[in-house]
Amino acid sequence: MTGQINRRSLIKGAAGAAVGTAALAASKRSSVFAAPAVIQETGSQVNVVFWSAFGGKNAEVEQEVIKRFNESQQDVVVEYQYQGTYEETAQKVIAALQARQAPDMAVLSEANWFRFYANQYLAAMDDFIAAEEIDTSDYVESFLTEGQRQGKQWWMSFARSTPLFYYNKQMWAEAGLEDRGPKTYTEFSEWGPKLLKKSGNDVSQWAFLHAPAVDYLSWPFQGTVWAFDGAYSDEEFNIRITEPNSIKAGEWLRSTVVEGWSTASQDRTTDFVNGVTASIMQSTGTLGTLIANATFEFGSAFLPSEVTSGCPTGGAGIGILSTSPAEKQQAAFKYIAFATSPEITTYWSQNTGYMPVRKSAGASPEMQTFYETNPNFRTAVEQLAITKPQDPARRFIPAGDSIIGKGLEEITVNQAEVQPTFERVKATLEEEAKPILEQLKAVEG
Amino acid sequence: MASTTRRDQVTTYRGQTVVRGSSRRSRLDAQREWVLFILFMLPNMVLFGLFTFWPMVENVRLSTQRWDMISPVRLDVGLDNYRYLIDDETFHRVLRNTAYFTVAAVGFSLLIGLIVALLLNQPLKFRNGARAVVFAPTLLSGAAIGIVWSYIFDPRYGLMAQVLGWVSVSSPDWLNRPEWAMPAIIIVYVWKNMGFAAVIFLAGLQAIPRDLYDAAKVDGANVWWRFRSVTLPMLSPISFFLLVTSILNTFQAFDIIRVMTQGGPVDSTNTLIYYVYDQGFTYINAGRSAAAALVLFVLMMVITLVQLRFAEQRVHYG
Repeated sequence: MTGQINRRSLIKGAAGAAVGTAALAASKRSSVFAAPAVIQETGSQVNVVFWSAFGGKNAEVEQEVIKRFNESQQDVVVEYQYQGTYEETAQKVIAALQARQAPDMAVLSEANWFRFYANQYLAAMDDFIAAEEIDTSDYVESFLTEGQRQGKQWWMSFARSTPLFYYNKQMWAEAGLEDRGPKTYTEFSEWGPKLLKKSGNDVSQWAFLHAPAVDYLSWPFQGTVWAFDGAYSDEEFNIRITEPNSIKAGEWLRSTVVEGWSTASQDRTTDFVNGVTASIMQSTGTLGTLIANATFEFGSAFLPSEVTSGCPTGGAGIGILSTSPAEKQQAAFKYIAFATSPEITTYWSQNTGYMPVRKSAGASPEMQTFYETNPNFRTAVEQLAITKPQDPARRFIPAGDSIIGKGLEEITVNQAEVQPTFERVKATLEEEAKPILEQLKAVEG
Repeated sequence: MASTTRRDQVTTYRGQTVVRGSSRRSRLDAQREWVLFILFMLPNMVLFGLFTFWPMVENVRLSTQRWDMISPVRLDVGLDNYRYLIDDETFHRVLRNTAYFTVAAVGFSLLIGLIVALLLNQPLKFRNGARAVVFAPTLLSGAAIGIVWSYIFDPRYGLMAQVLGWVSVSSPDWLNRPEWAMPAIIIVYVWKNMGFAAVIFLAGLQAIPRDLYDAAKVDGANVWWRFRSVTLPMLSPISFFLLVTSILNTFQAFDIIRVMTQGGPVDSTNTLIYYVYDQGFTYINAGRSAAAALVLFVLMMVITLVQLRFAEQRVHYG
């Protein structure tokens, strides 16, 4: 073998290294010193650090998207770094900003990006959109406008979802119900007792299970409160949760647990898969999990209506950090444009269950064929027409989700009276809204 | 009498013998010792200062500010964060939860730990194996334990429901009911930490001289009186050590709560340390979080001081 190391070769090697170092040191001073070929070659490329928040299968799909992007052109290299959940990613970006080590772009949830915008840490994308000649009219309007403030684009929708109503078809049939979701909350209240199975105090099958506060209970309930023509707040952060219509929505929520056909569950998705409950409201992003784990046939439907229809958007988009140099911001946007292009949108949507953010992708023959074979995916896209961004109270007030969720949990867990509970929620929301309102005033005038 | 070397000048001053060289040298020695002391201590002190004391001072400053951890500006708000805590119903609940959790978790860990130690101290078959099994949970990650126990507590298909089913008791909905969530957390915490107490107690038991028991026997003491008058007093330094460390650890128990309940349902398992996290990272309110952290710090210090001051007087160090 030629590569054998003995003492003599080591000494020779060391001497050689010393000479080499000296030569390198000398050459550094010389004006004709040339960079190694590799560096020269990649010197014109812009490296973009991307912090992301998708785990499991979605992470594999996302990495494939990045791989395709890096291979598709020579100017930009996206460096993917996984950071945990949406909340963890946002926390890490906050910490990184303090340490002046922020990434160039990051996945930020619909409830997190605003915090960065209000502190002027997001770069406006309008110039980049113009430079890349992106046709924004092809983006689903509600997804696009959600990332806009003051007429500018600060955040671009990427992995968007909505809550859906999932039901166990077998249990539905046993209860003698039509194969569809309830049209209204009133109708659901009539169905509830039929779907309940219990002996004495032991319930073997719930009609419906509510999420806990920590698993975004206030997200599906945003749809409920709208359906009753109420709201969490208006666009100016005036809290509306104590208005009569919002209270009615709260009373409906309370009736489900008082009448005994529903309760709160720490993990309603697992309970649904295990046949503990006949129905749940859960994200489109859970569809893949349900398909993989449910041993029975299940259907998906729109969230029920009441006075009107109501369904909020959810999920995440991408923001570009204003702390990065202009060159990197521009490069980061090239990736965003690629990841939200019709072709990649189709690929991403089919493999993750997130909704296509481009109209042309949703309408493409490829996607239509996919919906034919996977009708549950279609429900979410069809529901999109009645879907809108959540009230600012939940999206923009820090812990807005948690504050409203805990109030709702008082009702689903302790059957608390609605009016005083919502009064308390209102007071807390107003208190916590103050700092963000001051920031907004400073930023937007 | 101290001997002097040849070079030392021995003089008499006001009737006292003074050894000049020696005193100069002892002064030099003392200086050298100081320098050595400082050299040894400095790295530690710098690290302590940098990573413990400075953050503590900074925490006090932060507790008088309002800051979302992202804004470049921190607003001075005086004692507003403390006023908020005084008025906040959730915080009151958190304090009650913390007391409940600490008393129950420490009490049961020590009590069961002692019972297990007494059993393991008997000449049983497979004693060493049993000791390892008892101690094993202490070594496991709290997060992993939390996930496994979440399944065990499931009222329908969980292991706990099956065990309760054997005695014809229907399982409570542990993690979904506010009145049951805290007992569930306490059970897991005690299961995880009891082994540590048991092993320490066991070491204490084995250090008790046999002749004390023999003497007690001769005096006609039965099993209970031997336990009461020999074992317990002789174990008091160990018990005291375990009490102090367990209370401090329990105050800081975070992983199990984070994984199993995240402080819910309806704040029923929200303890002080979780509240500090929640205010910091859910409410993004560094000031309020710092104020709560300071309350936690003061509480822990007071409890430790009280224990050192009063409990130690009753401890018998054999």
